Amino acid sequence: MRTRLFCVIWILSLFFTAGAKAENEIVVGSVTPLSGKLAVYGEGFQQAMLLALEEVNAGGGINGKPMKILYEDNNSTAKDSVSAIQKLITVHKIPVIFGPAASSNFLAVCPIAQENKTILIGAESAAAEITKCGDYVFRVFPSDELQGKGAAELAASLGYKAVVLTYINNDWGVGLGKVFKENFLKAGGKILDEFSHDEGKTDYRSEILRIRKNAPKAAVNLTYIKEGATMLKQAYETGLKIQWIMGSASKSPKLVELAGEAAEGIIGTYPTFSQDTPQYKHFRQAWEKKYPDKKIPIFGEYNYDMVHLTAKALKAAKSMSSDDIRSALFTVSQGYMGVTGDKSFDANGDVGAVYGKWTVKAGKIEDYNP
Amino acid sequence: MDYFFHILVVALVYTVFALSLNMELGYTGLYNFGHVAFFGIGAYASALFSLLGFPVFFSMMAGMITAGAAGALLAVPALRLSGDYFGIATLAFAEVVRLFFLNERWLTKGPMGLPGIPRPLGIPSGVSGLSVYLFLCVLVAAAVFLFTRRIARSPFGRALKVVREDEYVAQALGKNVLSLKVRIVAVGSLFAGLAGALYGHYITYISPSDFTLNETIIVLLCVVLGGRGTDWGPVLGAFLVLFFQEFIRFLPIPVDFGRVVAPLQGMVYGGVLILLMLRRPEGIVPEHRS
Amino acid sequence: MAEYYAQLIVNGVVAGSVYALFAVGLTLVYGVFRFINFAHGELIAWGAYLTLLFSGVLPFGLAVVPALFLTVLIGIGQDRYVYRSLRRRGRITLLIASIGLSYLLRNTLRLIWGSDLASFGFEARRGISFFGIIVTRTQLTMAAAALIFLAFLYGLLKFTMMGKRLRAVADNMELAEIMGIDMKKVGMTVWTLSALFAGVGGILIGIDTNLEPMMGLTNLLKAFAAVLLGGAGNVWGALLGGLFIGIAENLGVAFFSPGYKDAVSFALIILLLLFRPTGLFGLARGVR
Repeated sequence: MRTRLFCVIWILSLFFTAGAKAENEIVVGSVTPLSGKLAVYGEGFQQAMLLALEEVNAGGGINGKPMKILYEDNNSTAKDSVSAIQKLITVHKIPVIFGPAASSNFLAVCPIAQENKTILIGAESAAAEITKCGDYVFRVFPSDELQGKGAAELAASLGYKAVVLTYINNDWGVGLGKVFKENFLKAGGKILDEFSHDEGKTDYRSEILRIRKNAPKAAVNLTYIKEGATMLKQAYETGLKIQWIMGSASKSPKLVELAGEAAEGIIGTYPTFSQDTPQYKHFRQAWEKKYPDKKIPIFGEYNYDMVHLTAKALKAAKSMSSDDIRSALFTVSQGYMGVTGDKSFDANGDVGAVYGKWTVKAGKIEDYNP
Repeated sequence: MDYFFHILVVALVYTVFALSLNMELGYTGLYNFGHVAFFGIGAYASALFSLLGFPVFFSMMAGMITAGAAGALLAVPALRLSGDYFGIATLAFAEVVRLFFLNERWLTKGPMGLPGIPRPLGIPSGVSGLSVYLFLCVLVAAAVFLFTRRIARSPFGRALKVVREDEYVAQALGKNVLSLKVRIVAVGSLFAGLAGALYGHYITYISPSDFTLNETIIVLLCVVLGGRGTDWGPVLGAFLVLFFQEFIRFLPIPVDFGRVVAPLQGMVYGGVLILLMLRRPEGIVPEHRS
Repeated sequence: MAEYYAQLIVNGVVAGSVYALFAVGLTLVYGVFRFINFAHGELIAWGAYLTLLFSGVLPFGLAVVPALFLTVLIGIGQDRYVYRSLRRRGRITLLIASIGLSYLLRNTLRLIWGSDLASFGFEARRGISFFGIIVTRTQLTMAAAALIFLAFLYGLLKFTMMGKRLRAVADNMELAEIMGIDMKKVGMTVWTLSALFAGVGGILIGIDTNLEPMMGLTNLLKAFAAVLLGGAGNVWGALLGGLFIGIAENLGVAFFSPGYKDAVSFALIILLLLFRPTGLFGLARGVR
């Protein structure tokens, strides 16, 4: 065990980038959006990961060695995620990498991780396609396969038989849209019109007009925060009055802040976890102690769980080879109750989830309990 | 070491790309500001063929030919335009192509891009495959370099240079100017497509955001900085620009400032272009006037 | 259904009036200096972002003033530090320099404000309804502002000495110089006007939608299309061209995917250049 560790450390010390002087450390990599359009989330992820990391190291690290996370910025793009992961794999030779946030970015790198037998873990990527990525790919965040069902049920339970469906033009949106459509049609619903909208546009009025054209009572809009806020605002200004049904990626105080009045009354789905468990309470306390004036960021709990679960697997692993770490991950996850619930990995490396409903009332996000 | 190889591969890909632009811009004086469109077409075509199951070398050929054909198709009508208007038309064309990649999800998977593009000869996409791929790129770059040099020294090449200097004189000398231009654009697009294919099969993932005006500016910088119309100019330019780009990644920039790297790079590129035009428009390697 | 198309046309006219502002500025420069300023787009973006900056300390209406002033300075600076020395060096050098300059300006903006969307932060307000067509307050402001500035330009060109000089230079630069027209003053006026119009348009777009660093470039290409439609150098042609582009874009969306909206202007550019380079309103300035 010692010799192996020394070998790992010796190899790690061979690279020439500044700041990577590894003494007796266990290094995992993380492809994180530190710049670009997801940077606002990336900051939160880092903070949550750091919180967990400190707890791990305070508890003795990985069998005595401190754990370290090496962050590579992916500029929120898939292209840079690819170079980031290639750098982590080829230069730093890291066996475990925390994957990038957006589903498209994640899907871009998972073939690379799989081929190089590097373990890739995701804490925010929901696209159903990720399940098929391979046996070195895991995620602590549930697949949208389940959210699509939940959203269709929500629409039906609200009494909407015919809706317009629009989704953001990327893996997450397209995937979730597909699952929603399947389930909604199966339940006897009708989709009046369906189209995608591009990320990052400043003007969605053409899309709003298209929704309006069908005069629906409700529109299912599966989109991100900025895009959602712009769409809501522009819809409001052009006098469109309908019930918006949205997905988990829109559930954010930032959306409400940006859209203001226009966000009132949205109803959406999201993967829930109880806030009454001892794990959650511990997490909340620790967060408030370390970051007293910061709100718990979106997906923060998932990142926290991911780091702790990984640390546990690394401790239990027979060696630092990815195959050994992989079997350890499967084993330690069974029955592991994280902040976000049961993190048992199934055969595909996915976890389960319960879906709840949220709404915006008087400028605040609350659970939706009709 | 491995990362050094990685930079070399990208530099070689851009060398081929720059050499192809040099044929149009440097030898013939055509302001093709949409050259990235053919880079993209080559990359997508090659990726799609190979994902359908065709062997990679075949797909690369297919990518090249598709790009070359697209170039020829664009060239015939567009080359009737004079200088800067040709530039604008090609710029607009490149944007239309990019929007096509972005919107035609059934073909290109739109913004999600194409992941998992295979490497030739079953070379794995990991560390072990790197040196083999590098060797492949060196071969291709050398071949393209020799080919373009041959063209430059041939009667065809000399005719191109006359066109660049003064089209009317060329016409008066009996050259079919339009045919010359179309041919060189077709060839230039062909090699741009090859560069694109090399790129796609290396990175194993492409998406429409890889083929924007940004890339046009970078390859333009390579050609202009290195020396327009020369043999070694684009090679030198590509290496300088690419090494600079990757070198920046290794500077110990504190995490908070990570986001300034890309814009700073852009500012440097823009600034260098301006300074070059003001002080040394011919670039580093001067052209021989023989 | 008629309402739907009418709404599209109304949206198109409003958007088009802003494009007209951009196109007019671009064509003024072309008419006098005979080259297309790629960096013109960045004046649009800078106008908007500078207003964002100043609106942090001043009320919005006032913030516009220093922002536009600085934008004009940038516009004049473009000429003084880059273009002036290159005017004798040939087309390609100017073009490459202007591409380089636009890249520099755009990235400086990204450096300062980041690559993300930004917003002036106005509250969402319901629009006003006319016969089933909704017009938002912002749209009214945009149309009004564009109208005011274009009327001002009309007055300038038609009734002032400077206007006459501009027209003379646009017509025939050498002759104008021989006749004693001060090229320096004319140049300054042209750059000032084009930067001013670009900046105003950028602010309007920022109010209407959001700000993002690429906003200069996207609108520049639309301005090109408008300039070409009207015939390069023809100010009123550029105006009509801008309106046309706005309407074409918005109507086009009724027939194809909204993702191709921007492509309308690009496709127009290509088609025009290939088949009718003198523009729809055919003016002397041809293109071989």
